[in-house]
Amino acid sequence: MNVGEIIVGIDLGTTFSLVACADESGPHILRDPNGEARLPSVILAAPAAADGSAEARFVIGWEARDHAVENPRSTVYSIKRLIGQGAQDIAGEAQYLAYAVRPGPRETVQVELNGRLYSPEEISALILRELRERAERQLGRPVRKAVITVPAYFDDAQRQATRDAGQAAGLEVMRIVNEPTAAALAYGFGVRGEPARAAPEVKPHAQRPHRVSLPLPRCSDAVTLDTPAATGQTVAVYDLGGGTFDISILRIEEGVFQVLSTAGDTHLGGDDFDRTIVLLVQREVREQFGVSIDSPATRQALRTLAESVKVRLSEQATAAIELDLGQQRVYRRTITRDEFEQLTVDLVNRSLALCDRALADAGLKPGDLERVILVGGSTRMPLVRRRVSEHFGKDPYTALNPDEVVALGAAIQAAILAGAHPDMLLLDVTPLSLGIETMGGAVSKLILRNTTIPCRATEMFTTFVDGQTAIKLNVLQGERELAADCRSLGDFELRDLPPMPAGIPKIEVEFLLDANGILNVSAKEQRSGKKASIQIIPNRGLTRAEVERMTRESIAHAQEDIDAHRRIDLLNQVEFDIAKTEQMLARVGDQLNEAERIAIEKQIADLRQFANETKDLDELHRALTAFGHSTLRLAEIGIREALVDRSPGSADRGSDDTNAG
Amino acid sequence: MPPQAAEETKGTQDLSAADWSQTHATPAKCTACNRPMDSPLFCGGCHTLHPAEGLNLFQIFEMAPSFDIDQAELRRRYLRSSRAIHPDHNGDSASAAALSLRTSAKLNEAFRVLSNPLSRAEYLLELAGGESSAADKSVPQDVLTRTLMLREEIEEARLAGDAERLQSAGAEVERLRDEALKVVAELARQLPATDLVRKQLRQKLNAVKYYQKLAESL
Repeated sequence: MNVGEIIVGIDLGTTFSLVACADESGPHILRDPNGEARLPSVILAAPAAADGSAEARFVIGWEARDHAVENPRSTVYSIKRLIGQGAQDIAGEAQYLAYAVRPGPRETVQVELNGRLYSPEEISALILRELRERAERQLGRPVRKAVITVPAYFDDAQRQATRDAGQAAGLEVMRIVNEPTAAALAYGFGVRGEPARAAPEVKPHAQRPHRVSLPLPRCSDAVTLDTPAATGQTVAVYDLGGGTFDISILRIEEGVFQVLSTAGDTHLGGDDFDRTIVLLVQREVREQFGVSIDSPATRQALRTLAESVKVRLSEQATAAIELDLGQQRVYRRTITRDEFEQLTVDLVNRSLALCDRALADAGLKPGDLERVILVGGSTRMPLVRRRVSEHFGKDPYTALNPDEVVALGAAIQAAILAGAHPDMLLLDVTPLSLGIETMGGAVSKLILRNTTIPCRATEMFTTFVDGQTAIKLNVLQGERELAADCRSLGDFELRDLPPMPAGIPKIEVEFLLDANGILNVSAKEQRSGKKASIQIIPNRGLTRAEVERMTRESIAHAQEDIDAHRRIDLLNQVEFDIAKTEQMLARVGDQLNEAERIAIEKQIADLRQFANETKDLDELHRALTAFGHSTLRLAEIGIREALVDRSPGSADRGSDDTNAG
Repeated sequence: MPPQAAEETKGTQDLSAADWSQTHATPAKCTACNRPMDSPLFCGGCHTLHPAEGLNLFQIFEMAPSFDIDQAELRRRYLRSSRAIHPDHNGDSASAAALSLRTSAKLNEAFRVLSNPLSRAEYLLELAGGESSAADKSVPQDVLTRTLMLREEIEEARLAGDAERLQSAGAEVERLRDEALKVVAELARQLPATDLVRKQLRQKLNAVKYYQKLAESL
């Protein structure tokens, strides 16, 4: 690995995504120019250009989110709930989405936008690429490697699909890490959510010998680091995000983070809590006014409304809803927190049943846990905190920023992979049992759930007919006894076996789960020592050829994309700075002398003209910086005045808090 | 058509009596840097990984085969070896990564098997040349009658919806399992022992599995 090569950590969330990186002082979130850490995982497909050119344009993040209600059919959200899934898996889901989901090839699903079909991998790749570009702008250098987090309970197809999305975004995915494990890593590393209260900064593991010490790139915007968590702790990470739930039990000891067990539900998250409100409103509107509000546009609007109601109910006891249905029909309603909790208690109980399973699998009782750590935006809900507290018999640990901790943990894992922490290690488990279909559609389990990865199992096979040269295996993931009830990873066809009489060949098939939890299969005929070739016919997801095409396209466009993006950012900044200066000039310009005023007016005109003409983005950046310096005095006067008259600042969206993670 | 499993094969090679107490599989010196090795899996001096092939699971931790191994020490050695050989710390070259993946898988298996008393006893029996559970499925006679009666009891309690009866049946299953485990431990301590002892151990191990299945069905 090249010295100083950057590996970023990415939390690819259902509702929000984040990117972070680590340097010697610890992990840091990489923020957008507005200081916002979170990128909404929302994509708006802009209408096709008037000239009919084929190239589709996408708006990603806050802008897409803000305009979702006007563009219900061309806005994609919660794509994480579709990635690596088949039409059957999301049968209960698609009807609630405002955008169109179509069955795709090989049991995949696709999203239809402006008449074109996109795989969930392609949509996810857009989000990943946006984060990659953010990191590149912040760090001032190319970013080609990443650690990406996934829910611990993601199966092989979902992990593979996430890795493919990363590749399509021009990223080499160095490791797929489980979200609760990443959170535990950040916790154990000493990351704390609250700003420093003059806590002594202890460099983690500073006293221990390091094998290598790589100069890591410096990042901005330090998080608070506390003393690393005491060693020899057993903790539970309860991670309720925007779309998924995970519970992981870990033992943290001597720098090793060993996952003892994990359980979860990849279709249980903040979205489901929102949905209870959507369904309530739809039902009551139907009862009161006899109209059905279930068009894509209203679905999107109701979703936004429900989310804000949920967020308000975390802070206050009631929230008012008002819906103008037209023709003087207005639906008004106050929903109380109690009511909301009654609607959602079943969802919380579902998560607690999974906690019991994880504890039992780890062979532990609630009393054996030193801490229950809450992660994910949905753990802001009072009901969740209360029920978790009752269930585990202790107050949950809430000091970590539930939105940022997973990305920070991913950045720490990236630093471990870069060789910066030879004394730290994550030992994770496979969430689902792995088996093969045997006679009669039963499942023979080869690797049990919660086995530490990497792990390996072998099985011997033979042939049925004389001269048989191929064997087909159906590889399955899941806990059920019948093949039909498990997820098939695909047909693995062993080919080129040496022809022998029936029953004579001894073919050893090896199943190897790597540290990403992704399966590798190989086979060897023992008598001849000949390696069988394995043809994998995936039941889900993209073929290798599709991933390669997406990667080629992404690399071909990478540099122009970066330039175009940077140009837009810079021009926006120019407009913003000029507008701010003009405002200031109008308000407090009388405190400057004539010469100063004229000088600033000229600076504004010059900058505007330069921005329109120049092609050199670095020059533009310098011009912008110079403009900032030359208007410093005006800005100072403006700030002083503002403090004096205490005029209320304009609220920006960076301060609105949501419950989804 | 689904495949058919071939004849049962043993995962690990049998050890002769002479091998039984052989702990130090660690080569004296690292083949890469010629320094003395302190673990069979990696050289602490030059960080070269060494394949785990041919080592039994105890040798991976430099321990003599025994039912009564020090669990705290086992764990300490497991964590130390994990840190050294895990793929996260060995990604420098494709060949190192491949060896690291295999060796880590073997190390994880070794810890899983040896940290659980039941699988540890099962593995010791295998080392001592005893039959596998697939080759000898027999259980002591009393176990068969007991599990049969318990099964009926559970079935009746279920039909009657009698939670109390169900619970006491469950407690009885657990008591029998723990009792059988104790006998397993006693027999495993005598290994490699005689054919008779190995046969008894085989049957007791099968019995524990019977009770475990019954407990899971509850």
